[in-house]
Amino acid sequence: MLNKKSAYEIIDKALSYCNYYTMVTLKSKDEGITRFANSEIHQNVYNEDNLLTISVYDGKKESKVTTNLLDEDNIKAAIKDAEENLKFIPDGEMEIIELTEPTEITYEEYDEELDKKFDTISRSNLVKEGIDLLDKDYTAAGALSLIKSALAMGNTRGVKRYNRTDRLDFNTVVMYKDGSSGYAGYTTNKAHELDVVKEFKTAYEKAKMSVNAISIEPGSYTVILEPEAVNSLLSYMGYVGFSAKSTQIGTGFLTGKIGKKVFGDNITIKDDAYSENTLPFYFDFEGYQKKPLNIIEKGVVKELAYDVKSAVKDNTETTGHSVDSPKIGGLALNLIMDGGDKCIEDLIKSTKKGILVTRFHYMNIVNPRQALLTALTRDGTFLIEDGEIKCGVKNMRFTESMLNAFNNVVGITKERRKVGKFGVSYVPALKIEDFHFTGKTELN
Amino acid sequence: MKERIESILRLLKKKGVSYADIRIVDRVKENITTENLKVQSISNSRSKGVGIRVVLNGSLGFASTQDLSLMEETALKALEIAKASRVLQNESINLAPKDVVVDNYKTPIEIDPFTVCKSEKIKLLINAEKTMREEATLVKTNGTMDFQKEEKIFADTDGSYITQLLYESGAGIEASAKNEHDVQKRSYPNSFRGNHATAGYEYISSLDLIGNAKRVGKEAEMIVNAEECPSGYYDIVIDSSQLALQIHESIGHPIELDRVFGTEVSLAGKSFLNESMINENFKYGSEHVTVIADATIPKGLGSYGYDDDGVKGQKTTIIDKGIFKNFITSRDTAVKINQASNGTNRADGWQKLPIIRMSNINLMPGDKEFDELIGGIKDGLYLCTNKSWSIDDLRINFQFACEVAYEIKNGKLTGKLYKNPIYTGITPEFWGSCDGVCNEKYWTLFGIPNCGKGEPMQHGHVGHGSSPTRFRNVKVGVKDVK
Repeated sequence: MLNKKSAYEIIDKALSYCNYYTMVTLKSKDEGITRFANSEIHQNVYNEDNLLTISVYDGKKESKVTTNLLDEDNIKAAIKDAEENLKFIPDGEMEIIELTEPTEITYEEYDEELDKKFDTISRSNLVKEGIDLLDKDYTAAGALSLIKSALAMGNTRGVKRYNRTDRLDFNTVVMYKDGSSGYAGYTTNKAHELDVVKEFKTAYEKAKMSVNAISIEPGSYTVILEPEAVNSLLSYMGYVGFSAKSTQIGTGFLTGKIGKKVFGDNITIKDDAYSENTLPFYFDFEGYQKKPLNIIEKGVVKELAYDVKSAVKDNTETTGHSVDSPKIGGLALNLIMDGGDKCIEDLIKSTKKGILVTRFHYMNIVNPRQALLTALTRDGTFLIEDGEIKCGVKNMRFTESMLNAFNNVVGITKERRKVGKFGVSYVPALKIEDFHFTGKTELN
Repeated sequence: MKERIESILRLLKKKGVSYADIRIVDRVKENITTENLKVQSISNSRSKGVGIRVVLNGSLGFASTQDLSLMEETALKALEIAKASRVLQNESINLAPKDVVVDNYKTPIEIDPFTVCKSEKIKLLINAEKTMREEATLVKTNGTMDFQKEEKIFADTDGSYITQLLYESGAGIEASAKNEHDVQKRSYPNSFRGNHATAGYEYISSLDLIGNAKRVGKEAEMIVNAEECPSGYYDIVIDSSQLALQIHESIGHPIELDRVFGTEVSLAGKSFLNESMINENFKYGSEHVTVIADATIPKGLGSYGYDDDGVKGQKTTIIDKGIFKNFITSRDTAVKINQASNGTNRADGWQKLPIIRMSNINLMPGDKEFDELIGGIKDGLYLCTNKSWSIDDLRINFQFACEVAYEIKNGKLTGKLYKNPIYTGITPEFWGSCDGVCNEKYWTLFGIPNCGKGEPMQHGHVGHGSSPTRFRNVKVGVKDVK
């Protein structure tokens, strides 16, 4: 992976050939992933790649060319292509605002222990250590990966950006021979935070608790959602609702609701790209400094995510949330939800009848304006009766509006957890009443 | 280059591999998006590199790099990774036998899309946007075009050396209409950037974006002001664009043999099928349901000469008159069911390890006219074009939302339409309820360029052909939702 000096050298070389206002973006990545299934390693891969994007602007025209061929001739050719496009591209929606400050933003911190503790052979040994815990009737699948990446930028006005992001991901599904399963996973950029064996134990315990799962009928239930499940809901809410662009088009569920109360008093959701509880990222794909967002404060909609174009439309400033997708606009990727005063045991003890959900599978948006989402439970779904986990439950489908669900939150844990999805969030477990399951997953 | 590749393969053999392959891929893409009569984005990209896969003492290693001068180092890295895999290996990797092939394949095209001026492409999209707005008040219109050219060299220690030049072209339009409470969209020829094919620029002309634009604009306006789709159990007809995703999720994925063997379980999930079912006359659907995996069909987005095991693209019967017959396979999975691979092991670029991907999973045409299908329904719905999808990790319970439902009463389309239709079902029950498929006159291929699978995530380019098809007593809507 390219360090700041090497990345800037490539960017400076590219910029020296440019004839227009140009932003050069360099994505650099080293990726090592150890995948295992049926309790053995079946895919073990390494990849390195550096991708250079030349974005050229002339008035309201913009053109973009990306290449991973970084020799001088190919960089020159990419710039020539981008500049040639300007000759016939019609005007776009608006003239680009040239980025001039701050001159430089950098984040170069990384944990040197990551390479030592999670190199290829160490990953294999750690996975083996976890799998060795399992009884012969159980198998494990999952992945342990270390992805080191950097985003570097520079423009013809002298602006420079460099952000290093290391991402250590682990996930495992432990399965009993009848298909009952349990999940555990963690995402971090700190080597000491991930205890692979501990995660295996969690998944193993859940798998054991899931054996002989019963079938229950769909309907309205009280649910306790663990952080992994909560983060799936929040991430999709962020995708369809927390961007200003979604309210400008009218597809978002917060359209016309800025300043209004949409969720219960106990719901506060922020986005903070500087928080060490997520993966820090100090600027966006347009080079703008990220601003922390107070998205929902005590149930009231306060701030949404902007890129430059959506900000101009609302006559405001970008919040630095571009993900290089004009279709999306701004996207909050460092979501943090306020914790409550309970522990997960409190939530279970206070539940007469309910369902504990470890995680969701294949979530999708049924209706963005209504914040209507659907997904299936998997890898650890349990029936709670009279304050205790009674047994495993076969997987079920929910279809629910988040405008209902986040008004029906009756318990929030104090403890929060880092969970990776589109970005990395820091979220508690939630107890939600009147949550609608709409289907079962059984063959007749 | 050939000499260099062969020398590295010889080196790997000396180092003791039982198998190794080298894939060099040079992928060029062009993507154009227009929005509200302006160019929203235009981008060209190129990615070139090499991926090297080795099997050493029964264990797998894969390494890749963009720097072709580091091919030897990358090969040695793959060996080191294979040694690390050996730490946790219960069964040695075996590969089904295959033919040694020296060949070249090129997508048949008439017009290289990269030779067509971008201004012509933009003009077509803007004109289509204008036409959508002619008779409708729209809050947003979009046009998209996507092109891809991929040059691939595959060589392995068995002696195969295959070069391929694969082209893809695709385009689509979308209209969004708004009222005080809602925004709805209508798209053509399919949602999520239109339709895609292994073809040249001639494919774009064949889509007739402008000829369909006025209808699309007017329908968007009608949908936003339409009633919510009723809930209940209905007889339904599904159009080919929605059926493409129905086939994809509830047939295409469950028949992937790697999923059946559990190697994707932690992320994408497993399958309700097991390997013995190919010998058990398992009833996947009614006698009207015959499905073929076909990597050879012209223009299919999942058509190619050879997969990334170096196995020839081919046709395989998956379901014959409702009875499950076969999986789609790779060399390392086929050997476990005593078969040769049927050639569906493909990687998303040089950086990725090949995994089983659908080719074109096609529902064969039946014998019905469209009016006959509709004519056989007293009270039902005609559902068109996907809006969202979800299915469980065993591929049993699916739920789809469509852009529009047209009302059917007493055997006729009434002209009334509904918004936000959702239907849901259980895979074998649903395909078992199929009682009619339109004939080949209505048969259309749809390309899906964004099939997610694997870790790191890979985006497969696959195809699905079908005709409008009728299903009985399907659950529409989600009654419990407030």
